[in-house]
Amino acid sequence: MSPNRLEFSTTSPTQFVDITPRIQEAISRSGLRDGRVHLQSLHTTLGLAVNENEPLLLRDFEGLLERLAPAHAGYEHDDFARRFEIRVDEPVNGHAHCRQLLLSAFATLLVEEGRLVLGRWQSVFAVELDGPRQRQLAIQLEGVFATNAREPAESLVELELARQLLVDPEPIASPMRRLIEAGGKRLRPRLVQLTSAIGPRTDPLRAAELAAAVELLHNATLIHDDYVDESTHRRGRPTVAAAEGAERAIAVGDYYFAKATRLIAQIGNPGVTSAVAEALEAICASQIDDVALRGTYPGDRESYLRVIRGKTASLFAAACASGALLSEANEDVVAALRRYGDLLGTAFQMADDVIDFSPSSGKTVGLDIRQRVLSLPLIYAAEDRVVGPEVRRLLAGTLGDTEVGRVTELVTSTDALPRVRREAQALIDEAVRELEVVELDGLRPVLVSVAKSAVDRSS
Amino acid sequence: MSVEVALEPELDRLEALWSDGLADAYQAYLPGVDQPKLALAAALIEVGVRLQGLGGRAAPPTTLLVGDLCLARGSRILADHAPLAVQVAFARAIESLSSAAAAEEPAPASTRELLLQSLGAAR
Repeated sequence: MSPNRLEFSTTSPTQFVDITPRIQEAISRSGLRDGRVHLQSLHTTLGLAVNENEPLLLRDFEGLLERLAPAHAGYEHDDFARRFEIRVDEPVNGHAHCRQLLLSAFATLLVEEGRLVLGRWQSVFAVELDGPRQRQLAIQLEGVFATNAREPAESLVELELARQLLVDPEPIASPMRRLIEAGGKRLRPRLVQLTSAIGPRTDPLRAAELAAAVELLHNATLIHDDYVDESTHRRGRPTVAAAEGAERAIAVGDYYFAKATRLIAQIGNPGVTSAVAEALEAICASQIDDVALRGTYPGDRESYLRVIRGKTASLFAAACASGALLSEANEDVVAALRRYGDLLGTAFQMADDVIDFSPSSGKTVGLDIRQRVLSLPLIYAAEDRVVGPEVRRLLAGTLGDTEVGRVTELVTSTDALPRVRREAQALIDEAVRELEVVELDGLRPVLVSVAKSAVDRSS
Repeated sequence: MSVEVALEPELDRLEALWSDGLADAYQAYLPGVDQPKLALAAALIEVGVRLQGLGGRAAPPTTLLVGDLCLARGSRILADHAPLAVQVAFARAIESLSSAAAAEEPAPASTRELLLQSLGAAR
C-alpha cells in the first residue's frame, strides 16, 4: 500500500476540479500496474464525483446543488449563537456541508496495466463546495507494482555481480569489486531487466546475467576512461589507475571487457550479442572523438551530440534493445525501445552536465571544466554574446581553481543551464512518445518513470 | 599490401594500422580460417592489446583508445560472424592475457598463439 496526499487549491465557492491527470500521474510514479486507487476527501465540504468534464454540464451540476441545498436557505449550523466553541473565522457554510452529503467523500477506482480504468467520457472530480481553499485528498494505491517485482530483480543483479567477481583472480576482481561496491545508479542493468519482461519469453535469471554483464562492461569502460581523463576519484573512491597504476587499470578494463562479452555470448542470443558489441564499438570510437575534440574545447553542439550518443546513449540503447531481444519481443518493440534508450541516454548525459554546476550534488563543482570534458552548458556559455569571449579565453589557458570558479560563475549567469535542462526534458518527452506506439505489457509507466528520473535528479 | 575491398569498412578510423602491423597479423591468421573477417578480428585484437601495452608499459591515453577500438571492433566482427565457441575462446584468451598482466606474471602463451588456438575452437 502506497500512502500519499494530493494537494490543490480552488478559486471559486463551487468548483469541479478535474483531478484525473493527477491521479494518473500518481499511478505512473508509483509503478502500480494492476490494482486500485483509493481516494478520500479530508474535508467536510469537499466531495468526490466521477462524471463528464463538459463545462455546461458542470454548470448544471452546480445549479442542481444550489436547488437542493440553496446557499441562503438558512441552516442551523450557521446560527453561531447556538453553537459551542466557534472559531473567529468560522465560515457560514451549512449549505456546503449539506451539499457534500449529496456527493461522496471517497472513491475507489480500478487500475489496469498502469492506467486508470475510466469510460470514454469519465473524469474524476474533486468538488469544492466552500471555496476558495487549499485542499487535500488522501490517496492510496494497492495492487501489483512493477517496482515490487523490481526489487528482487535488482537483488538478482547484485548477486550475479558478486558471483562473477567471486570466481575471478583477486588482482583483477579486487579493483572491480571496489568500483561496483562504491555504488552507481545501475540504470543500464535496470533497463535490461525491465525490457526483458516485455516479450513472450521472460526469464529473470537470464535477464540478471545479461544485466550484470552489461554493468561489468560499463564499469570496464569507466576504468579506461578514468586513466585517459586522469581522474583521481570516481564514486568517492580513488580510481583504479590512481590507486594501482595505469598498467593494472588497462588489464582490469580488458579483463572485464572480455569477460562481459563472453557472458553475453554464452547467453546464446546472437541478436543480443551483436547489439551490445555494436554499442561497445560506438563507445570506443566516440571516446577517440571526445579526446580529439579537446583541442577545440569546448566544441560545438553538433560534435557534442555525436560524441555523447556514442559514449553514453549507445549502451542505454543496447541495454533496452538487448533486454527486449532476450524476451523475444517483436521487431517494432525492439526498435522503439532502442530509440527510447538512445534518447534517454542523451538526456541522462545532459542532466549530468548540468549537475556538474550544482553545489548541492555532492560532487566537486566544475570537474568537467577542470578535466576538459565535453559539456553542453559550457558550449552554450561559450557561444553567449556577453560572457562567451571571457569563457573562451579562460578555457584556452591553464585551468586552476580560480579559472574554474570563474567559468562556473559565468556559465551560471547565462541561460545555459535552464536551456540544457529544457533540451533534456524535450528528449525525455520524445523518449516517452516512443513508448506510446507499441504494446509494452503494462511496463510503460515504469519506463516513463525511469526516463523522468534520469533527468530529474540532483546527483 | 593493399586492403581487400570487403575488409575496408571494418578498418574505419584504423586504416593507418594496416601498414603498421595489422596486415602482417592478418596474413598470419588467414590460413587458419574459412572467413577472412575472422582473421581480421584476430589481427585487430592482437594489434589492440599490443597498442594498449597490456602486460608491459601502459600506452599513453590516445594510443590506449585506439587499442580499445581495435578490441571492440574485433569483438563486434566475431559477434557478427564467428560461431559461439570461437567468440568464447577469444574472450577467454583476452581474459588469460589480462589476468596475467594484472598479476604481473608472464602470459600463458604469446597473444598470437592464444588467438590461433581460439580460431580453431569451432573445429
